[in-house]
Amino acid sequence: MTQRLVLFLAALVAISPIFGVWLTELLGYHEPLDIAVELINEAADYTLLKDLSEEWRWTPFADYKVPGLPDWAGYIVSGFIGLITFFILYVIIKELYAKRTS
Amino acid sequence: MHIPDGYLDPLTAFMTWVVAVGYAYYAYKYSELRTKPELILSLAAAVFVAQMLNWPLPGGTSLHFVGGALVAILTGPFNAYFTMLMVLIVQTLIFQDGGITTLGANAIAMGIVAPWAGYIVYKVLKTRIGTAGAASVAGWISVAASGTAVGILIGLSTWFPYSLGISVPIMAIWHSILGVREGVITGLAVLYILRKAPHYIAT
Repeated sequence: MTQRLVLFLAALVAISPIFGVWLTELLGYHEPLDIAVELINEAADYTLLKDLSEEWRWTPFADYKVPGLPDWAGYIVSGFIGLITFFILYVIIKELYAKRTS
Repeated sequence: MHIPDGYLDPLTAFMTWVVAVGYAYYAYKYSELRTKPELILSLAAAVFVAQMLNWPLPGGTSLHFVGGALVAILTGPFNAYFTMLMVLIVQTLIFQDGGITTLGANAIAMGIVAPWAGYIVYKVLKTRIGTAGAASVAGWISVAASGTAVGILIGLSTWFPYSLGISVPIMAIWHSILGVREGVITGLAVLYILRKAPHYIAT
């Protein structure tokens, strides 16, 4: 990743709570898929399809939240966790290919 | 667009995993993951951040970028698969955005269908209506196609006791409407890249 891209993505992450948290709370937001599934459930007249993610939690960072932090701060931290993860993945993949080549 | 756990029965979920893994094996031969990991991971990071920028709309839905068509236009559909797969793996495992049992289905919808639909439409229309126009239509069609794919997968699941005739039209129509936004963003992004770094647009 170039330094310019990293700075650009970091800036986007820093402002992301405006869109991902504040406006979401202001306007009320559901994933488009959730709305489509609501329509499917309404057409069937009972709950055919149920999202089990509330019952199966395997990460402390579910829904881009961080325990102990307000939602907006958790959203920013999550963004940086994601960026760091992609950087780590890049290093791992590069190292793997370098070892294979050598 | 991310299908959570609970929408697909175990057999359908397993089959989608088989398809996603099988396609990864095939796509790897034609991808540049080995030679250009920096490009693919950089794009994955950019798509991940772009997907965090929800633009909620009055009425309770959102405008956020999916990215399958844009990545396919930039790097080709095989590289796009690994880009989108990286995004999905990080979103699923770390942020529970999408289910583990449905990761294969999400990879099919957003990693195979969206990039291929966008790429084919872009290639067909590029010489006829121009690069930015073709990219816009490609972005729109990619979301409509991947939404339709999700409708087909949900319809095939035995947990959905009705025919594809119910799940597919709802998903297809809804995502065709939302896909217009993807088209606008994809067109603008390609226009910007054409001006600043045209060598990134795949030939």
